[in-house]
Amino acid sequence: MIDQSPAIILLAPFLLAILLALLGIKREWLCFPLVITGLAISVAASVITLMRVIDEGTIQYFFGGWEPPFGINLRVDGLNALVALAVSTVALLTAIYSKRAVPAETSDKVSQYYTLYLLSVTGLLGIVLTGDAFNLYVLIEISALTSYALIGMGSKRATLAAYKYLIMGTIGASFYLLGVGYLYIKTGSLNMYDIQEQIVANNLHGSPTILVAFILIMVGVWIKMAFFPLHAWLPNSYTFGPSTTSALLGPLVTKVMIYVMIRMILTVFSPEFAFDQLDWSNIVVWMSVIAILAASISALAQTSLQKMLAFLIIAEVGYMVGGVWLADEMGMVGSIYHIIADAFMTLCVFLFAGIIFTKTGRRDLSAMEGLFTKMPLTMVGFLVGAFSLIGIPPTAGFFSKWYLIQGGISSGHYEYVAALLISSLINAVLFFRIIEIAYFGAKPAEGHGHHHEEEHNGGPTEASFSMLFPLLITAALLLGIGLYNQEVVAIITDFVSQFNIGAIIL
Amino acid sequence: MKSFALIAVIVTGWLLLSAVSDFPDWGDTESPANDYRLSQHYITETFPETSVPNMVTAVLADYRGYDTMFETVVIFVAGIAIMSILRRKPLDHLKDKGKETRTYKKDPDLIIDTTCRLMIPIIQLFALYVVAHGHHSPGGGFQGGVIFGASFILLALSRDLQAAQRWVPEKRVLNLAGVGILIYSGFGFACMLLGSNFLDYEILHKIMPATPIEARSHSMLGVEIGVAFTCTAIMFSIYSNLASNGDMKETL
Repeated sequence: MIDQSPAIILLAPFLLAILLALLGIKREWLCFPLVITGLAISVAASVITLMRVIDEGTIQYFFGGWEPPFGINLRVDGLNALVALAVSTVALLTAIYSKRAVPAETSDKVSQYYTLYLLSVTGLLGIVLTGDAFNLYVLIEISALTSYALIGMGSKRATLAAYKYLIMGTIGASFYLLGVGYLYIKTGSLNMYDIQEQIVANNLHGSPTILVAFILIMVGVWIKMAFFPLHAWLPNSYTFGPSTTSALLGPLVTKVMIYVMIRMILTVFSPEFAFDQLDWSNIVVWMSVIAILAASISALAQTSLQKMLAFLIIAEVGYMVGGVWLADEMGMVGSIYHIIADAFMTLCVFLFAGIIFTKTGRRDLSAMEGLFTKMPLTMVGFLVGAFSLIGIPPTAGFFSKWYLIQGGISSGHYEYVAALLISSLINAVLFFRIIEIAYFGAKPAEGHGHHHEEEHNGGPTEASFSMLFPLLITAALLLGIGLYNQEVVAIITDFVSQFNIGAIIL
Repeated sequence: MKSFALIAVIVTGWLLLSAVSDFPDWGDTESPANDYRLSQHYITETFPETSVPNMVTAVLADYRGYDTMFETVVIFVAGIAIMSILRRKPLDHLKDKGKETRTYKKDPDLIIDTTCRLMIPIIQLFALYVVAHGHHSPGGGFQGGVIFGASFILLALSRDLQAAQRWVPEKRVLNLAGVGILIYSGFGFACMLLGSNFLDYEILHKIMPATPIEARSHSMLGVEIGVAFTCTAIMFSIYSNLASNGDMKETL
């Protein structure tokens, strides 16, 4: 069974999604255990796969027993083993959180919601693990279609937001598909590694078709990851959807798309083509600088917690795109590490936002008045996530920024370093504002102590265990990934070092 | 905003066209897509390896069967998504066994009704032919399923939604769609349980009266049937949700 582990990562949630669709309509109580089972198996398989990758190096898995390029394969190396583990863990934690949130927010459609939830996770895991460029498109379709529905099941405004996302997402996916089509015209293959071999063998790096394919694929994934000027779909989608949806998609979709960008640059087109031959890294890094600053400043203007976090995601996307395009080994390592760290810190703050929304029914920042006394444990979890987004040691966010800044300095992109620092300062302002509201914001009760006591007992109380538990685990993971950053970075460096990024520039 | 969109369209169009001169010529036998070992392998080896004469089906259901499974899931997701967003009334009646009160009844038009009575069985028979004959001629699960689903839509159009729902009630539609994917992935999981990779049909000769190569062909028919189930169900489900505005009572 061990050699089936890469496939089990995504087939476990897939099988349980189908079982849930068949069994869950009549038996609503069955939904939650099935979801947890599927995702727990997936996490276990991810851990086993990661261990195997560390021991044996790259693992291949051939679907249908056909070797590539004839069939479709999963190809797991240090990069996607780590990202898959992060994706399945985030999905499991969000699923635990959803136990109360889903019946409360989508009361009459619990089984459909969970079916779509599991299929969405299957899609994201499939994107991460696959070694086939067209298969990646099919799974993008699955994760995107499920996301539209998962968002659209929220409040009234969510439907419009989902519709916008549908249009933008479809355009993005079409660009990607066109790019793959252009690649196929010139190489006759769909397997990522085979495409690269064909490009090198036929000396196609100068071909305009390959160049157009590269541009199409990059623009496609930039739309999908909400890279700044193409981000318009994201804020409302993640604000008005059900809170479980935001906690699942917010941390995962954008990061998985950044993984796709890295995979395309490193594996399909090769870094020599993307960084040295095209020499666009200055332009893209400047774009990411603008993205980081514009998104951070927009986040300052928001009064709704979810929307503020959505703009922070867009800023973080800027970090990672910039980090990749620094064309520097350290920047690449930083970006990959940031994918993992950012998945968990975004999860942490979105879980917090979900808890606040469930408890108070409000999305604005003033809903958090006096929460430190009423929900101390929730606030502790939130603080870790906030500190990580600001970049305070020893959280994971500090180390990822550390590597990114190192990459910026060693490649001479000081504008990127400056943008990172300014954005961290803005994050500090944003989160200390919330901390201030939550700590000092309780309105002094009028009258005597007796009334004061009553005022305190009213209002929200500590979140239920099923919501608190994933939040605290996420906070602990953030600290863990931060403290053990060298181990994680060792795996990433191992992967990145085979590509000689920036070797020619130096 | 409109001029901005125009600029975006022009830039994209120019981008797409700029590479055309680099493309291989129409029908060029030397072009990479034709000449590369991938397509050569499919052309020469499909029959020896899978005993299916129609290469398109073999590529679809065997060589790239994993893709096709997820394409079926895309259709399934589309159905579930439309239902979960549009379906307005709580799905309570699916849990209760009580009958829904039929409030709407339309007198069927004689000519239309008679024609449809004649047509629907033929359409369904043809759909089965398309599914079963996918190995040898153009066709397969997707096409057959869509035709089968269309026959129910024709029933709903010619009378009313209630009449069609008597044959395919909502609960049965959902189960049918799920069962379709379960059939497809069931072939995959069966291969896994017998100790081979997911969807590696060859190993199924152990539980099938067939040689390993024939097992591939038989399994392809099996997964096509799964696809047809899902397509039929989802076609009808999407129609009935969209046409009735999500309340499943009255259609167009």
